[in-house]
Amino acid sequence: MTRKFPLYVGSLLLLSIAVLASPTLDADSSPAEATPECSLVSSPDYYEIDLVTTRKVSGARLAKGKGEVTYAASPFGISVSEEGSYLVNIDVSMSNVRLDDDKVLVAWVTTPQLDQIKALGTLDENLQVTGQTDFNKFLLVVTLEPRDKEPGAMWTGPVVSRGMSRSGLMHTMAGHGPFESEPCAVYGY
Amino acid sequence: MHSNRFAGLLVLVALLTPILPAQAQEMDHSMHMNHNMPMGDSLVWRMAPMDGMTMPMMPGMMDDIPDVGAFLPGFGMDVSMYPEAKPSEIIDMADGDTLHMDASLVRRTIDGREYVMMAYGGMYPGPLIRADRGSKVIVEFTNNIDMPTTVHWHGLRLDNAFDGIPGLTQDPVETGESFTYELKFPDTGMYWYHPHMREDVQQDLGLYGNMLVDPTEEDYYAPVNREVPLILDDILVDANGLFPYGEEAPTHALMGRFGNVMLVNGISDYNLDIQAGEVVRFYLTNVANTRTFNVTFDGARIKVIADDVSKLEREQFVSSVIIAPAERYIVDVYFDEARTYDITNSIQAIDHFRGIFVPETHQLGTVTASGQASEDNAEAFAEARTNEDTIADIDNFRRYFDKAPDHNLRLTIETKDLHPMTMRMMEVDTLYFPPIEWNEGMPMMNWLSTGEEARWTLLDEDTGKKSMEINWQWEVGDKVKIRIFNDPSSFHPMNHPFHVHGQRFVITHIDGVENRNMAWKDTAIIPVGSTIDILVDVTNPGKWMAHCHIAEHLHAGMMLGFEVFEQGAGPQAGR
Repeated sequence: MTRKFPLYVGSLLLLSIAVLASPTLDADSSPAEATPECSLVSSPDYYEIDLVTTRKVSGARLAKGKGEVTYAASPFGISVSEEGSYLVNIDVSMSNVRLDDDKVLVAWVTTPQLDQIKALGTLDENLQVTGQTDFNKFLLVVTLEPRDKEPGAMWTGPVVSRGMSRSGLMHTMAGHGPFESEPCAVYGY
Repeated sequence: MHSNRFAGLLVLVALLTPILPAQAQEMDHSMHMNHNMPMGDSLVWRMAPMDGMTMPMMPGMMDDIPDVGAFLPGFGMDVSMYPEAKPSEIIDMADGDTLHMDASLVRRTIDGREYVMMAYGGMYPGPLIRADRGSKVIVEFTNNIDMPTTVHWHGLRLDNAFDGIPGLTQDPVETGESFTYELKFPDTGMYWYHPHMREDVQQDLGLYGNMLVDPTEEDYYAPVNREVPLILDDILVDANGLFPYGEEAPTHALMGRFGNVMLVNGISDYNLDIQAGEVVRFYLTNVANTRTFNVTFDGARIKVIADDVSKLEREQFVSSVIIAPAERYIVDVYFDEARTYDITNSIQAIDHFRGIFVPETHQLGTVTASGQASEDNAEAFAEARTNEDTIADIDNFRRYFDKAPDHNLRLTIETKDLHPMTMRMMEVDTLYFPPIEWNEGMPMMNWLSTGEEARWTLLDEDTGKKSMEINWQWEVGDKVKIRIFNDPSSFHPMNHPFHVHGQRFVITHIDGVENRNMAWKDTAIIPVGSTIDILVDVTNPGKWMAHCHIAEHLHAGMMLGFEVFEQGAGPQAGR
């Protein structure tokens, strides 16, 4: 390990320089302007979804992203479906991504069982999109798709990033122990 | 260290707990029946109902009881000696009229079983006081229950002296004593009245009623076929009857006391007979101690037209009505087909043991539509009105919407001497707290927590003062912005319906997003993790309270004071 360590550090340094030097597509980075006090409040950090890169897609191996969750507009302050599922808006934003001209990023939500998939939308030139879902637990997935095709029933391209909703982290001893009802370890949780 | 503790607890549970089927099952409490009441002259605790709980009883908890005495009204007395309560009546009151009303112990029959409960005017719910906007009436109140009490007139911007707050606006009304309340109705809408002493007991036992303030303007609301008040509630019972309350302090302090029998207008089998094609205006009031409802009408279209204190800026069609404790909504519902419609509470409950969402539907009542309505209001119903009067009223305040908050409030909790297993379990199960606690996910731990052990706290982030240490000082004419943050990192984050006495407010922003369809309110739900900005229209002088309207949270300390001075008379300059 001692012999490998300098090599490791050197590689890391080179990589860092390469990343810093390369042009990237960033989310809107216009200068901060004086904003009303209300806009200093953002979506609840508690329910924010961290999008983790899969490191599999060229140009996006170091991508960063997040899904900010707020309630769909409602006269009640929060919004739920007729069955009681929270209806939320998800503001997806990505950065540190370099795409070919014929490719776009598309955001999706899917259940942990992957049995329901819904497209949130295609990220715009600022790598942002907003969509809505009423899934109780969900994975937020961003994939690389052809620019000239509308998102279909599910993604066709590779997964760039993914993250789990806060509710999806709800696991107890029963979820992992002898009373397991969700084999979450199988898909990495 | 945290992961070692988690692993250790996992092993302990695996070793000590029998394997259970995945489905929820009734817990066998027969071993606890020796804790039944009575024992001599004392009421003793028995195991609380654990309906639908799948979590096995944790070691060390099986014989535990709350650290307060058990209490039930009329304990040890023959229930037949109490007069039977009768269904609520509408009391139409003209300007200057006087109503004589008492609070008394009554006999109520729910689901075929008799209980000793409480009632205003001998009715369940209490009499519906109906008056015109702008009028003033007198209520001569007499306390005939076996506890001190007061009456708070929720949502009314009435004179401070009659707000019903013991120790602040009046002395408690002791058994046999009377107090005269002067009510005034400056705002059209549906309001309600209830005790402001041990609400967890008195309100839960039936001390609540509505006040309907009619508009004086023509065409204030769209035409409908009928108007119906619906008061939503729940009550906790078991095989032995009403489940006891904490004597010295409330139990169920962590999550509030969830009931296991749903009530609409005081009964468990509510039905409304109408004609097919009718549009019905429901005045919804939630008087439950802690339960937030998601009310549906079995596919009938729903249009929200008004909130606590005013109409919405724009009427809005919705698929269900979310209503927190103490809130009111006025909704028009169109029953176009001849059939029976179920009124339900439809939620996604959380099974904490298995870490999953479980759809639950609780029957609240039915609407039976037959024949054909004689008057067709379908066209009026289809239109979502824009209420220019509400918009114009709120226009006077829009320039304040983006001001910096005058007060920053954090909702949190402090604990002391909670059951050790409760502490351990809460430390383990912290990965997710839902925005709204629709169901009682941990009934045993909830029951064991008292208002002395779980101190719900309003923290003023600017001064560091907590709960009743806070005494904000405003002047008439102030437009006060309060930013309320429900801290998800607290020991047990939970939604809180935040109520302000004597004044009205609008919700300007929810998590930084502008509220684009406002109404005046007096109670707002604050979900876990959210930041809600409200703008208070300060008009009413006196000493007031603001607090969480979950009854157990209120009595566990979640309240603050504020004082409103006449303009120019306050210790601070007006804002």
